[in-house]
Amino acid sequence: MNNIDIAVIGGGINGSSTALHLAKSGLKVCVIDKDSICRGASGVNAGTLTMHMTRAKLIPFAKKGWELWMNTEKWLSNNIDVKKKNGLCLAFTEEEEKLLNERSQIRKEYGADINIISKTEALKIDPNINNKIKCAAFCEMDGYVSANQTGDAYTKALKENNVEIVENFEVSKINNSNNNYEIIDVHGKKINANKIVLAAGVYLEKILKLVDINIKIKCFPQQLIVTERMPELLRTVITVAHGKLSLKQFENGTVLIGGGWPGKGNIENGYNETIPENLIGNMRLACHAIPNLKNSRVSRVWLGLEAETDDAMPIIGELPNLKNAFIIGSIHSGYTSGPYMGKLLSEKILGNDVDLSLFDIKRLMN
Amino acid sequence: MNFKKEYDVIVIGAGPSGVKSALTCSKKGLKVLIIDSNGNSGGQIYRAPPKSYIKKSEKTLEENLIQLKFSENLKKNNIDTAYNHTVWQVSPGFKIDAFNENGTIQWNTKNLIVATGTYEKIIPFDGWTTPGVIGLAACTILLKAHQTIPGNKIVLAGNGPLLISVAYYILKFGGKVDAIVDTSSKFEWIKSMISLIFNPKNFIQGISWILKIILSRVPIYSNSLINKVSKKENGISIEIQNIKNKQIKKLTTEVLAVGHGLTPSTDISRLLKINHSYDDLKGGWIPKLDQYFRSSMKGLYIVGDGAGISGAIPAEDKGELAAYALLKDQNIINEKEFTNKTSRIIKRLNRYEIFAKGIAKLNFTPKDLINNISENTILCRCEDITKRDIINAVNNGAKNLNQIKSWTRFGMGPCQGRTCQYSVAKVASEELKCNVKDLGYLTGRTPLRPFPLDKAIGDFEYDEITKVEAAPL
Repeated sequence: MNNIDIAVIGGGINGSSTALHLAKSGLKVCVIDKDSICRGASGVNAGTLTMHMTRAKLIPFAKKGWELWMNTEKWLSNNIDVKKKNGLCLAFTEEEEKLLNERSQIRKEYGADINIISKTEALKIDPNINNKIKCAAFCEMDGYVSANQTGDAYTKALKENNVEIVENFEVSKINNSNNNYEIIDVHGKKINANKIVLAAGVYLEKILKLVDINIKIKCFPQQLIVTERMPELLRTVITVAHGKLSLKQFENGTVLIGGGWPGKGNIENGYNETIPENLIGNMRLACHAIPNLKNSRVSRVWLGLEAETDDAMPIIGELPNLKNAFIIGSIHSGYTSGPYMGKLLSEKILGNDVDLSLFDIKRLMN
Repeated sequence: MNFKKEYDVIVIGAGPSGVKSALTCSKKGLKVLIIDSNGNSGGQIYRAPPKSYIKKSEKTLEENLIQLKFSENLKKNNIDTAYNHTVWQVSPGFKIDAFNENGTIQWNTKNLIVATGTYEKIIPFDGWTTPGVIGLAACTILLKAHQTIPGNKIVLAGNGPLLISVAYYILKFGGKVDAIVDTSSKFEWIKSMISLIFNPKNFIQGISWILKIILSRVPIYSNSLINKVSKKENGISIEIQNIKNKQIKKLTTEVLAVGHGLTPSTDISRLLKINHSYDDLKGGWIPKLDQYFRSSMKGLYIVGDGAGISGAIPAEDKGELAAYALLKDQNIINEKEFTNKTSRIIKRLNRYEIFAKGIAKLNFTPKDLINNISENTILCRCEDITKRDIINAVNNGAKNLNQIKSWTRFGMGPCQGRTCQYSVAKVASEELKCNVKDLGYLTGRTPLRPFPLDKAIGDFEYDEITKVEAAPL
């Protein structure tokens, strides 16, 4: 494959968003994935679009991402279900009440429109929640996406914008000479491009080694639980003060229980398995928040791999000591912010003045 | 029952294969636990009547007597039995998590024998979700375990030997079979009967069943399929279509029992990431095993029809072979004893396989059955996914079953694709002009069966919830 301006390695939400925005500017872009578009964390995450779980410093970016999600028909495609919902973050003990007050205040300072409300007010917004709560934090900017449709939506949008999609291409070597990158896969297939974007999610550490950059990317296998279709069990997106629960009911009636309870898994052989104690912990917390949830049955449990840097902040921008090479990844709450972060990086690549200093990879390199 | 926390061997599934393997291990002194979600041993083929039916009637079936023998032998050999327990997770090592009506329980073992049998394939058609339409296998359960006929007037449709056996039992219990609608031709039946000489017992049984059906003057529509079913007052209306000449025949009946053959249950082996291969003659995807039914994972043996469909009698042989392999792997029996015990069984099993392959051909799905599904027909009834949804996903670029699942939600409901995986794969392979095996199989997921949340969580106080580190701010 020739005449490629930019090759994006990794077809998750970060890579695909970057590629899509670049293609819309008229560049010839290709997206390479070891599997297929958004088949990793981007397609299996909880799809929560909440400010209550977003890192404070990232609130301004998450807000922009949220706006993009609410208008997918304008830039992505219309075959992905996105729903705006009110978000309630619950506190069950005095200690949690204190934590919720502190955390909400800091998030508010970074621009999130979060307000502490009383138990009575919270129960009025969602009568399904446990009446033993102390108080709740309320935010109108919340909602969810049916994350399983991400691959379908992005595949369609990338194709419509003439992005080359190269799937089942596991990159094992990257050569750089004469302002040209040669990307080679495990079977020896080659792709040439003028510029590269590394967007390989949990596999970033491995891919960065191919261009002699050594940083640590942690891999968190996270469990998700979904129930069978049920009548109304909740009306809002529910989170809790310490951030270890996300709960929502989709339009089809299924309830998704998330919150980042760890399972087992690694990127070496792709094997993953659930930890029953953690499933039960996660389910207990969910049933404590919404007592009627306990009358439903779990139909499926799965895992997704989340990537995190040492300081749990994203890496977005130019790669040092290399020309025309860029990176995007490890965005905490990446699903919410991904579309906007991709847009920011595409503007940077196009030569616009974008401040990405907060996410510079050099902070992690010694 | 007071269970131990750890067993030498755990067997999942108390059908003929599971029971045989449990008995063989136990006789060599190993402590064995056998688990089944049913209330007793016997599996589907020798399914026990409910406890309230325990009084023997005149109509006690041979199947029920075999089941009683199973129970007796398990008891005599001090094998612990966990009936009414549903296994929801199996982890390597092995940890077995199950629930019953009282809550959850976990057992540990170094040796696991999976004997989880099969489930029925049903290729959808217009109106297949109408009340009054049931599976042939469900019909078998009603007949064998409950001695109950599903209705006064019944039409049987689909393919394979189950069609004949269900017809026989309905007639035996005084029901009326309005018609048998068979996708196979009479010629295909005769060809398969030839392979039956490798299994004389089943041959005689088969002939006697067919005779009863012929003598009862049940109309048989060969080369035919169900085109459409709709609800009528006091019953259902059925359209039968001849595959060859496209002629349509209309019938009104009470119940339609339909099934298109069985497929091995691979839920546990897929969950444990064992490699699988596709073999139409064995019912579809089966785990890769050696000739003693060892898997590639140490200590994991997969037996019975779940290792490839060949029927109840060979299932016992498979269970016994795996048990001897396990005993040898554990150095409980030596090479000589192992060879002595197994060579005879292997010979017999090979003979049965010829018979099984002959019968398997009757279970092949004719293309007409797939092409006849209209685009509005629901394939995945848990999530209401139609044939059109599947075709759209394929046309948008989905290339394998897991991708189609992700894009459409097929297979995401309580049945986890057990009902629809086969028909979705068939529809997608027709659209993509590829083989079913090129589409792969659905990744195994927990829970293996829908798991009631109240059972999972039990009684707890808020501060007893496992503590996890707060997310970073």
